[in-house]
Amino acid sequence: MTSLPTPLEPRVELRGITKRFDKVVANNAVNLSIAPGEIHALLGENGAGKSTLMQILYGLYQADEGEIRVDGQPLQIRDPGTAIAHGIGMVHQEFMLVQPMTVVENVVLGLPQSHFGKLDLHAAAKRLTSLSEQHGLTVDPWARIEHLPIGVQQRVEILKLLYRDARVLILDEPTAVLTPSEKETLFATLDSLRQEGRSVVIVTHKLYEIMAIADRVSVMRHGQMIDTLAVSDTSEADLSRRMVGRDVVLKIDQPQSKPGAAVLKIDNLAVLDHAGNQKVWRASLTVRAGEIVGIAGVDGNGQSELAEALLNLRTVNAGSISLEGTPITALSTRQRRDLGIGYIPADRRGVGALTESSLADNAVLGAQTGFTRALGLINRRAITRYANELIARFDVRTSGPELHAGKLSGGNLQKLILGREVSRNPKLLVVEQPTRGLDVGAVEAVWQGLLEARNRGCAIVMISAELEEILNLSDRVAVMYGGQIADVLARDDATPERLSLLMSGGKLNGGEHVKVH
Amino acid sequence: MSRFIERRLTPADGSLALLLPTAVALLAAFIIAGLLFIPFGADPFSAYGSLFSQAFGSMRGFGQTLVQATPLILIAQATVLVWRGGLAYIGFEGCFLVGAAGAAWIALGGTDQGLPWQLSPLLFWPAVLLFAFLCGALWAGIVGYLRVRFGGNDVLISLMTNYVAAFLVQYLVSGPMRAPGNLPQTPRLPQESWLPFIIEGTRTHAGLVIALLASGLVWWLIRGTATGYEIIASGLNARAARYAGINVVRRQMLAITLGGGLAALAGLCAVLGLQHRLMDGISGGVGFIGLVVALLARLNPLLVVPVAILYGGLEVGGSAMQRQTGLPTSVILILQSLIVLLLLAAELLRYYRIRRPGTAATRPSEEHA
Repeated sequence: MTSLPTPLEPRVELRGITKRFDKVVANNAVNLSIAPGEIHALLGENGAGKSTLMQILYGLYQADEGEIRVDGQPLQIRDPGTAIAHGIGMVHQEFMLVQPMTVVENVVLGLPQSHFGKLDLHAAAKRLTSLSEQHGLTVDPWARIEHLPIGVQQRVEILKLLYRDARVLILDEPTAVLTPSEKETLFATLDSLRQEGRSVVIVTHKLYEIMAIADRVSVMRHGQMIDTLAVSDTSEADLSRRMVGRDVVLKIDQPQSKPGAAVLKIDNLAVLDHAGNQKVWRASLTVRAGEIVGIAGVDGNGQSELAEALLNLRTVNAGSISLEGTPITALSTRQRRDLGIGYIPADRRGVGALTESSLADNAVLGAQTGFTRALGLINRRAITRYANELIARFDVRTSGPELHAGKLSGGNLQKLILGREVSRNPKLLVVEQPTRGLDVGAVEAVWQGLLEARNRGCAIVMISAELEEILNLSDRVAVMYGGQIADVLARDDATPERLSLLMSGGKLNGGEHVKVH
Repeated sequence: MSRFIERRLTPADGSLALLLPTAVALLAAFIIAGLLFIPFGADPFSAYGSLFSQAFGSMRGFGQTLVQATPLILIAQATVLVWRGGLAYIGFEGCFLVGAAGAAWIALGGTDQGLPWQLSPLLFWPAVLLFAFLCGALWAGIVGYLRVRFGGNDVLISLMTNYVAAFLVQYLVSGPMRAPGNLPQTPRLPQESWLPFIIEGTRTHAGLVIALLASGLVWWLIRGTATGYEIIASGLNARAARYAGINVVRRQMLAITLGGGLAALAGLCAVLGLQHRLMDGISGGVGFIGLVVALLARLNPLLVVPVAILYGGLEVGGSAMQRQTGLPTSVILILQSLIVLLLLAAELLRYYRIRRPGTAATRPSEEHA
């Protein structure tokens, strides 16, 4: 066991860290101290500078000013190698694992090997197994990474750090990709690390997780450290006010929906992914005008494929889709859009926008033929006017409609995409992960936009992995598991517990089972 | 070093930031190549003087520059269209050759080597333009089809089709279209089929008009029409384009067939405007130089025209300079290559800014735009 310094002395201390990118000050004289044996949450909106700060600590960036002290000694962290040598490790949001290699190969990757250069994988595997037993991180050292679910891959990342005896573990948005039960396991692991006297920093913008697991929380806003407080002295509302700088209402008080006629009917749909795996299987669902049907589920259970099939971005294998009674299974994307289907994709930079084109060009994406005069000539002035309207109406913060869409923050880009799709008054709106990675202010705006569309009578299919979002917005909740619609619950019956059960493949037992529609 | 320069997150894109690296690159290329002149006893200043006066100084020379620029413009515009559509097609050399062969075949109408009938003057021009265009469109379209339908590698396939086209022309001029005599070439085309000279006292021919019209067309298509928007969207991000309901396959096919057709018109210009016969090796790599021109013009159809004229001038002036100073051809080629190389490398400069001593370290710099 590592000998613990006195609890009063911070394990890591960042003093007056300033980092500039171009004209942006990402970190402005930031102070942060991390004590041994604590779980320290770093909270802030996107772009608040929390990732930059952690990347400076991990040696990926160099601070322009300020100093880092580790165990009381000033330390120049020039690269991740230095950080690791001093017991600081980081798990990135995107895992840094070599997919075709085994767990143990990934763990020893980059470590100097003894035995005259011979790689002793069996010894490593043995040590790895004992480490994983010690921390409840069950994993087969000889499994290939590509065969492991995301939650287990994350365990491998943590084990990588423990194998190097990291005493400070930085986890960037660790729960973004996990199922509720995987989250529980992760929290238990973090707790055991805390017991051992290791320090854990979790970078997050999910308030309820902080309240559940962290000891102290540091709030950043616009590159500055606002506050560091004990979690016991604060509340979710208090934290979100500190993070955003004003009061935010994330509990949406929506009026009861008055659903009209059925708009979308999916009947026994089957869809394959590009590798030929059955991703959607016998899915049936009806969505009526003026209601939001939330589709809950852990990522990868067929939700994306379902959404793509609705837009004909993926070929339907069997079954049928109809819009207001008209079969549309055989129609092209163009034809379906013309019939009134809008789509807000999960990958807003890769699918939802042309990042190298102007906001004006992006404002008409999908309706480009609607802005032409005679001879197919584009009416640039009308496009600019329309883009300005969208920007104003949906509060897209930008320097103007000529800015490249890729330069917008995630929240502002999503507002533009939402505005673009919603203002065409679609009959059906397919929304996928509408607020993934967005900060609280943007989440609020996007939710409002969706509710307004619903209240105007739009039928909305909202795919989301965030239970909070599903519970807040949905009039009915369908849960997808293994490519099937496991169940459809009315809003009042959809409790987090029931949804979690369904999302992890469980069945509601007879007494509790409330099937709607 | 990092005390004086720092990296930008995005390239500077002010007009000065675009012009300055270009000027620096050109200057550097001329200086480096000028150093190579010295061992041959040539004075760089007078050599460059003769280069520019030959290419741009006289009406005759400038006319020659325009003749050189004509096929470059057409091929560069073809590149703009195809590459903006997201295809890495490099088969313009082949399009040029099939266009040249097609034009020669129609122009030789009524003779043993060409079309069986001689077309009336009224019918001849639309027929020859259309036929050459279609030859190129088809030639490029095959590659396009293999790419967008079956995911074939457009770079490799189009590169290979260049050789096929070259051998096809070789076959034609030594077989079915060969003129009586020893040389592998067609007979001289009848004078009525030549593109008329348009500037008195020069060899500038009406091909320049075709090239400028094509430039206008490409500019209008990609800047002014919904179809052009869809082509660009398909090229920038095919997934987003499909999401927007754009038929990416159809748009890319349109771009590549139009592009192939334009490149074929470059071949037509060479045959009907300059050589007045089809022969082996008629392209001389112009299909690749045109591609370089398009890249130097950043795939902007309006920039293509001045860049092509400058490049054409460099070729005309370069060979004149070589004749005058007795420099080996390789030195001229080195100069041309250096210009391309340094211009492309200068792009990198836009990612850096100079730190003014004493200022940047203490406050965020806002003055460098």
